[in-house]
Amino acid sequence: MPRRTPAAPRRTPADPRWYERAVFYELSPRTFFDSSGDGVGDLAGIRAKLDYLEWLGVDCLWLLPFYPSPLRDGGYDVSDFMSVAPECGSLDDLSALVEDAHRRGIRIISDLVMNHTSDVHPWFVESRSSRDNPKADWYLWADDDQGYPDVRVVFVDAEPSNWTYDAGRQQYYWHRFFHHQPDLNYDNPEVVEAMLGVVRFWLDLGLDGFRLDAAAYLCKAEGTTCENLPATHEMLKLVRKEVDAAYPDKVLLAEVNQWPSDVVDYFGDGDECHMAFHFPLMPRMFMAVRREQRFPITEILAETPALPDGCQWGIFLRNHDELTLEMVTAEDRDYMYAEYARDPRMRRNIGIRRRLATLVDNDRRIAELLHAFLLSLPGAPVLYYGDEILMGDNIYLGDRDAVRTPMQWTPDRNGGFSTADFAQLYLPPLMDPVHGYQALNVEAERRDSSSFLHWLRRMLEVRRDYPVFASGSLEVLSADNPSVVAYVRTPRDGAGAGDGDGAGAERTPSVLCVHNLSRFAQPAHLSLAKFGDCTPVELLGRVPFPAVGARTFSVTLAPYGIYWFELRPEDGAPA
Amino acid sequence: MTTTDAAAPAGVPWFEPYIGPYLARQDWVQLALGQYGAATVWAQLVDVELLSAGRPGLASVLVEIDGRLFHLVLGWRDLVSAPGMLAGRPGAVLGPAEDDEGEVLVYDALADGELVLELLAVATGGRERAGHARPVRSLVSHSSLIYDERLFMKCYRVIEARTRPEVEMVTGLAGAGFAHLAAPAGHWQRGGRDLALVREFVPDAIEGKGLAETSLRDLLARAEPGSGTASFEDVGLAGGDLGPEMRRLGAVTAELHLALAAAFGRESDGAIRLHGDYHLRRVMRCDRGWIVTGFGDDPLLGTKAGSASTGEPLVDSPLVDVADLCRSLHQVADEAVALRTPATRPHARQLADGWERRNVGELLRGYLATDGIGELVQGEMADVSRRVSELAAERDR
Repeated sequence: MPRRTPAAPRRTPADPRWYERAVFYELSPRTFFDSSGDGVGDLAGIRAKLDYLEWLGVDCLWLLPFYPSPLRDGGYDVSDFMSVAPECGSLDDLSALVEDAHRRGIRIISDLVMNHTSDVHPWFVESRSSRDNPKADWYLWADDDQGYPDVRVVFVDAEPSNWTYDAGRQQYYWHRFFHHQPDLNYDNPEVVEAMLGVVRFWLDLGLDGFRLDAAAYLCKAEGTTCENLPATHEMLKLVRKEVDAAYPDKVLLAEVNQWPSDVVDYFGDGDECHMAFHFPLMPRMFMAVRREQRFPITEILAETPALPDGCQWGIFLRNHDELTLEMVTAEDRDYMYAEYARDPRMRRNIGIRRRLATLVDNDRRIAELLHAFLLSLPGAPVLYYGDEILMGDNIYLGDRDAVRTPMQWTPDRNGGFSTADFAQLYLPPLMDPVHGYQALNVEAERRDSSSFLHWLRRMLEVRRDYPVFASGSLEVLSADNPSVVAYVRTPRDGAGAGDGDGAGAERTPSVLCVHNLSRFAQPAHLSLAKFGDCTPVELLGRVPFPAVGARTFSVTLAPYGIYWFELRPEDGAPA
Repeated sequence: MTTTDAAAPAGVPWFEPYIGPYLARQDWVQLALGQYGAATVWAQLVDVELLSAGRPGLASVLVEIDGRLFHLVLGWRDLVSAPGMLAGRPGAVLGPAEDDEGEVLVYDALADGELVLELLAVATGGRERAGHARPVRSLVSHSSLIYDERLFMKCYRVIEARTRPEVEMVTGLAGAGFAHLAAPAGHWQRGGRDLALVREFVPDAIEGKGLAETSLRDLLARAEPGSGTASFEDVGLAGGDLGPEMRRLGAVTAELHLALAAAFGRESDGAIRLHGDYHLRRVMRCDRGWIVTGFGDDPLLGTKAGSASTGEPLVDSPLVDVADLCRSLHQVADEAVALRTPATRPHARQLADGWERRNVGELLRGYLATDGIGELVQGEMADVSRRVSELAAERDR
């Protein structure tokens, strides 16, 4: 049995809505920093890099699975839900990490893989051992492979079916993902209680919440696609109820790769998940840049429903998975493959396994533009480790390891990731002339004040200064140039700065964001009449632009240019 | 000077002496009459309707000059508040007058940010209200306002004897279920004369020409020295490929023609009423897809959407509209090539021609793939393509 460690004392302020304003930073413990010198990144390694993360200005770390696992799916094949994989450290290491992070005002969430286990998890080992053991019904077994015919196969490159035959039990078991990841049976109350026990275990240890992996698939019903079922929502509400009852400032972040109109159900009436990823927005940002026109972005924003109070989108540019193209039309998918993945090795399942820098051909201007969207559109931004220094990828590695190579800290051996021999490393670091650690690493970027890293850090500061980015409404402005997208983030009625210490009553100013999607300079004429007489003050340099009122506001944007303006009323009061 | 054929109703200040000099200063009157620089014109009041009594007040006035009818919306306020409301618009003032309570200033109400809000309620029969309005540049024969960034009102200045083609087309198409247009929200009419049309304002819409230019710019930039090479094969692969958009526009165009046939009928030879001024500045892309605009006419400038040069509705083969759209693509290509340096023009010309062929092809594909269009336009792709080319050449002449 895993040893229970007392909860770490909290230094982060009590603030049940912290996640609405937070900037998340997703990292892979096994490839972030190796403190033990065994070639695998670990929890103590993350702790050793908290100085850096605090300097960067992120608010919450999202840790990819660090649980014991045979690692056939990057740790999403968990073999023990209540322990730390030995190569990643111990429960004490986790407690120390949480305590140290909290002291710096940084929260930590981790992946919770509720849908399935590894096939070597003791639960499944017992379940497959006979048809009448105590855990016989903890998974979904059937005498044939004909059930749930309407369900699509997710990993089309690897799995011919969602059913796999087990010779021992002489039955088929159901798996939504790989065949070595059998799905748990949430119709079984014992499974529900076991998973709630897992939730309590980690929250007791001081974690600030979970990213709920594959949340849409928990429950199954014949005659359906087994996605977004009412029973799944009931299960998630049960988890929320458990969390709210004993852990008031935690967050549940749902991974639901669906249309916003379906995803919004995962917020319930504010009684289900606090957050959910906005998947369709991500590929459309890339599409808009390549097409040099705004409609891919504005169309999906127009289709995005309002959220219940206390809920927030999680938005991202890249993550540990492929750039998923499930939520685009077939036509757009072909377009994205043609533009971003001409080499077949870049494609994986229904998506593109590349990092941000390589997707944009290492063009820093585009990377800045995409981050400007990420930091200014409605939602809590989720950064992916390494993207802050524009790390590259390795498409010659298997599966999605292409985008999970070790963090590049220094130009030294193994990029400063580990002191182990190269052959020992969990994954090889990049060593190519463009993206290799000799050319690209945190140390060099920190010493170069004009680096992308410094630029991003500055943008995070600006975002923190303007809470309207986190909580304001969004209005897309009329612009006569298709390559220009302009929108205003305006405080919602009654919504204030809300920094968690009760100072939320002060009204924050509106912010105008103008972005040029074209690689050429572009003009734009914007109507700001409804915002009254005001002076746009550029946020990075605090430069006042000519006052506007009923007149059109004309701006000229450099290629991939970005302007963020505070709309300061002529009388000096915030808009 | 003014003669009175219709008495102003009670509550409307005595404004008649100002009408002649005021109208003489307006470009829409000067253009209509061909008289420039006159101190006054001989105007006859035809009809005055009090829209809002008191202060501020509002009235609609129809005036005839040399057989042409003009529309004015007058407002008035007390002498203290009026200057502030009209700041920056001194040309809108007619002059001081008296109402029941004393002296007021009479002016063109479209310059008054509050009274135009009342006018919206009038023009929509009270169905629509707004909190803010802004004027926008418009053609000569009408004035335009945008309300709360959601409604667009055209207030007609020059009044025609017949129903305006714009009103006819918009209401006809909406009635036929054509969804790809800014939906009508109100129609102000008096005595059979169209005074204003209120429609949905689509703030995110941009002209198709802008999209086409963006697409071609991307392709041509790939042919610049140092930017790699571009060939015909790249036309469909360019980041800004317009093909899918043109295919969707083709489908919308086909739906437009089917709706026009449903609303206005079909001749025995298959001819239908056309948009008549159909090019890339008359179609707009917005978040919900393509919408068709430009049904408006300006009798003073000779632009007559949906009308032949005689002023009668243009009835012809639907492929005439399609040909006009294709000509518009050609024009974009010509303009883009002209912007290149002489040395790069030959290559740019080749690419632009390939771009044009691809997009014309996609446009026709989308058009012909639409259910029902086969009945209006007989023939297969190759045949239709040839006829469109011939029509385009004819229209060019």
